[in-house]
Amino acid sequence: MRFKAGIQNISTFTKLTASLVSLGHVAWVRLNNTEVRFTIIPEQGTQVWAVLSIDSIFETYTIQSAVPNNTINLEVPLQPLHRALRSALQATSASIRLTKKDNIPLLILTIVTNPSSGIPHSTAFNGGNRDNEFDAEGREQSLDFSTSREREIIIDQEVPIRVLSAASVEGIHEPHCREPDVHILLPSLLQLKSISDRFTKLALVTKTAPTSGVMGGSTTLGPRLEMSANMHGCLRLSIKTDAMNISSVWTGLTNPELDPAVVAGGEDGIRDHPSTRMKALGTADGGSEAGWATVRIDGKDWGRVLSVGRLGGRVIACFCHEHALILYVYLSNDEEGGDESVLTYYVSSYSS
Amino acid sequence: MSSSPLLELWEAAAANPYQPTISKNNQFTVGFTLLLLGVILTGLFGLNRSLINLPLLGIPASLAFGAVSSSARQLFILLRCISFGPKAQVDISPLGIRFSVEDSSVMEGHAFLDASLFTTFTYTPPVPSSPSSSPSSDPTPAFQISLPALLETLQIFGITDSRDKWSSRESAYSSITRAGGNPAFDQRVLGTTGLCRLSYDGPGAPFCVRLEEAGVSTTCELSTYEAASGEDIPFDRDALVLKTILRAPWLHDAIAELSSTTPSTLTIHSSPSVPYFALSATGPLGSATVAFSRDTPQLLETFHAPRTARNAYKFALVRAASRAMAVASKVSVRIDRQGVLSLQFMLEVEGGGVSFVDFRFVPFAAGEGEADDSDGGEARLGEAGGGGSEGGGAD
Repeated sequence: MRFKAGIQNISTFTKLTASLVSLGHVAWVRLNNTEVRFTIIPEQGTQVWAVLSIDSIFETYTIQSAVPNNTINLEVPLQPLHRALRSALQATSASIRLTKKDNIPLLILTIVTNPSSGIPHSTAFNGGNRDNEFDAEGREQSLDFSTSREREIIIDQEVPIRVLSAASVEGIHEPHCREPDVHILLPSLLQLKSISDRFTKLALVTKTAPTSGVMGGSTTLGPRLEMSANMHGCLRLSIKTDAMNISSVWTGLTNPELDPAVVAGGEDGIRDHPSTRMKALGTADGGSEAGWATVRIDGKDWGRVLSVGRLGGRVIACFCHEHALILYVYLSNDEEGGDESVLTYYVSSYSS
Repeated sequence: MSSSPLLELWEAAAANPYQPTISKNNQFTVGFTLLLLGVILTGLFGLNRSLINLPLLGIPASLAFGAVSSSARQLFILLRCISFGPKAQVDISPLGIRFSVEDSSVMEGHAFLDASLFTTFTYTPPVPSSPSSSPSSDPTPAFQISLPALLETLQIFGITDSRDKWSSRESAYSSITRAGGNPAFDQRVLGTTGLCRLSYDGPGAPFCVRLEEAGVSTTCELSTYEAASGEDIPFDRDALVLKTILRAPWLHDAIAELSSTTPSTLTIHSSPSVPYFALSATGPLGSATVAFSRDTPQLLETFHAPRTARNAYKFALVRAASRAMAVASKVSVRIDRQGVLSLQFMLEVEGGGVSFVDFRFVPFAAGEGEADDSDGGEARLGEAGGGGSEGGGAD
């Protein structure tokens, strides 16, 4: 199998891996002729199923594989990939290819920097990246910038990966969820994130201290945030502890309309859809108690999910009352007519 | 239609022109005034409607209080000066709100938020419990709330102003076209801030803070706890061994300098002769002294020390007041006969006006405080309390 591509949009790719790295250690990357998929399924917490169009990150994309549709399945560790991409931020160009060295499959990220276009201190000195194999094939001593206008610096970052066979990924499917009760377009994710983080901090500050001195081994569960929304453009975030009870309400948000072409059953499907029934209840100012779909989520996990806000884009949240929350993040595509990339987050809810 | 009757009408009309009630030249003025009046009245009605909140049933000793502040930041700065403890006692009176925090009866801090700091301040005194007592004699019972929670809530305010750290990397063009981002309507540019509303309905009800900004409204209900029954640290204003006023930043610098040796004890020397006013800190790693000279005229504004005195305090407690030292403009340092230290800070508030934050510290008893371990120097409140009963106590 062969894969080679130039990276067109290094900053978008870096931001994407930055937001994914906090959610899981490894990602299942599926490459084929038409799209690139990133999937993260951690032991505990939110699942991410991202589908990106090739043009949003790559250019000059070549792929070849024995599997139909030229599909390649890889298991990629996110932390090394993210660090490698971070070192490419100041580069003139970067490309990525799949190769094998000493029988170990690798993804090699080749970064080309022209010193005349800027001092590439981020590529030459990479702080704590001791884990990466760091090959500097500089054709020029990197100290001599003043006379090296034509010379360039080429760095290869190697990320060890595992190739997954088609059979092993057969069984992995997106989580199946019932039709959502409420779908709403979220406000700016960064505003939402800063308020959620402050709520989480508040809950930790005012929580009574645990009596046992043993610190949790694996993930310690954070405080439970309660999120509700209704079909009239209201979103409510609240948290309750012994010392206080705080809630924030956003009003005036939009509820996207269901597209009859997509919903099963067409027009009738829309009529019977739970969200249409929810629209009958509730008011635009969020005053009444009816018409709210509520989920309870872990505060820290939610903060990590919201870090995807750095990519921009619209976010539609679908609430399944007391069951789960699904976020669809649509990344804007610079080209006209290109397919939109979608990142889907599945967050499960705690019962009260 | 024949034109001649119409033409006759037309010519006849020239004789008596139409005069409107409000003449042409004044129409704009009158219209604008009416509109402005309408907007102001609507606003006042909207604010007052929700603040005055008397319970309908005859619950005895019920009261209602509401305050609207246009600057939550001011409240936040004042309250942060005294945030060294987990719980704060709140005392509401017609003059304002007083927040008090105390630390194991050896240190206390008070911040008084005057009613004039708020845009509107509505206080309804409690219904007197017995018909014979006068209406103003029953004060509102004090209650306690979690101060860190209140501070965090006030910090939510203005969180929409914070720029995301990624916008600085993108070019100005891309940040405008990015979905959802529109810097022209940024709150900072428009200069609008939201509204912060504090309200309390009486014993048993939570203390509510309501913050409203563009698009988001946050409501926080803080549980109220029973007020602590301790007394204030007694301070005798009439028997002072030291009274001086100096600029707060200098005191802040002095304490910051002294804390570099991580001392455990702070000793204040005051005397009518050189050195007039000196702070010295001692600890296991060493000692340092900062002396203020009286000869420089602008340094100490007022200085009054009838006799030489040396008083020692726990350094960590005094350092907890350093936030107030950093934001205040002036500080009045007073020590009474018993050695109780009172620091009163004057903070300037936006839009004129001043607020006061004051601290009181109980000294180490004479003979202790020179001990090597920090535990040995605990003050004995009994001594200060016993002497204070003759002195007359708090101001």
